[in-house]
Amino acid sequence: MRIWLSIFVFAFALGAQGQEGDTAVVAEDFSMYADAELAGDAKRFCTSKVFDQSPNKLISLGYDFQGGHDLLIGVAEPLRVQAVHGIRLGSNFPVISKTNLLLNVGINYWEANYQIEKAENHPLARSLQNRGLRTTGVTATVFKPFNDKNFIFAQSVFDLNGDYYLPDFQSLTYTRVSGTVIYGWKKHDRLLYGFGVSRTYRIGEANYIPVFMYNYTAPSRKWGVESVFPARANLRRTFNARTLAFFGYELEGQTYRLSSLRGFDNIMNPELRRSELRIRFTFERSLKDFIWVSAQAGLRYNWSFNVDDGDFFRGFGNQPYALENDLSNALFFNVSVNLVSP
Amino acid sequence: MKRKTAFSALFSIIFIAAAWGQTQADAILGVWESGNGKARIKIDKAGDKYTGRIVWLREPNDEAGKPKVDKNNPEEALRTKPLLGYSMLKGFSYKGEKTWEDGTIYDPESGSTYSCTITMTDDNTLDVRGYIGVSLFGRTDVWKRVVVKKK
Repeated sequence: MRIWLSIFVFAFALGAQGQEGDTAVVAEDFSMYADAELAGDAKRFCTSKVFDQSPNKLISLGYDFQGGHDLLIGVAEPLRVQAVHGIRLGSNFPVISKTNLLLNVGINYWEANYQIEKAENHPLARSLQNRGLRTTGVTATVFKPFNDKNFIFAQSVFDLNGDYYLPDFQSLTYTRVSGTVIYGWKKHDRLLYGFGVSRTYRIGEANYIPVFMYNYTAPSRKWGVESVFPARANLRRTFNARTLAFFGYELEGQTYRLSSLRGFDNIMNPELRRSELRIRFTFERSLKDFIWVSAQAGLRYNWSFNVDDGDFFRGFGNQPYALENDLSNALFFNVSVNLVSP
Repeated sequence: MKRKTAFSALFSIIFIAAAWGQTQADAILGVWESGNGKARIKIDKAGDKYTGRIVWLREPNDEAGKPKVDKNNPEEALRTKPLLGYSMLKGFSYKGEKTWEDGTIYDPESGSTYSCTITMTDDNTLDVRGYIGVSLFGRTDVWKRVVVKKK
């Protein structure tokens, strides 16, 4: 008898527990949850984003196209470049995702294929036409908040740039390392900024520059700025959470090893210092749930297309380049499909 | 007499084990603050499933000074629903080892719903992993338990 009584009490207790959960949902005074504190010795930390910032792209599959322009190599007659085009693949996965530490790691692959008229007239044009340019890289990004206001942002990039083909890969000894460290403040949910330094190849050759991060969303939540000066800056228009537009620029650059460039006695290790300023409109929209499409169009302004002998830091010196070249400006577009992060 | 004692002991063990399992499963109940500190979520139990509702927002009003609504919801009919009280966690079941699975999490800032797994790393911390399809395509947010001061 006592056993059956126990079973009855146990079953009633379980039932009552379920009932309690259900009824708790019905009516509640939400104001009571305003006066609360974190349990234990937990701390609050600031996050890496401001309101309405564009979503992190886990995977990106894109295509980049530059229209016709002239290539002036040294003092030779200009050559006509009909197009420069290629795929751009990117990834950026959160490896550590804690409130007090974020670590993202990504792998990128970009290519630029050149279509040049009369490319056989110059070794550099021939090299570009036959081999194109490729970048394969690994990026690691760390966001380390110290409290709810201050943080450090650090990024290191390991790139292999050159005229290699994937089956005939370039030696890893030619890996180019760039990096950025920024100390910042998150003033509130709509404003984040920071100052730092960067070792960068964005102007083609290795350089060390100060950088300024500034991400802001206006109180209206319709406009904002996303920038890391001088690398990139964008004015953002938020139509809704799934439709964004940007206007701004990005300085893109790398130094590329040209193993197929022959015919110059004074250049033992030719490196193309390619750098371009892209002034552009960008439109991003969620196609369905986590699949976003991005379309970009604008002007590609040439910053550098010179050739040096080896990888070195020129600083503020005025050493001449081994081969001084110029590109006229061109229109470009870029389209990509992206899987965005939760 | 011996048989009766053995039966009572067996029943006691089953009872204690069931109660212990229930305690472990219900450890998730309570009020939690999201990693960005913008919201507090109360996790309740409905039947044998665990759900979570937004009970506090750091910025409860929109730019016009009105209570925020679920304006990013892909279903137009739900865009006027207040965010306060909104069920953002649904359908979680306890799977043992301090893990709750088979649920979804809704992100009001993007209007997207993700698959979700919750793991309790200590009594006051939840790792809430939202993901797309497979866990690799996801992100973990760390939630902290909050203690509501009684008035």
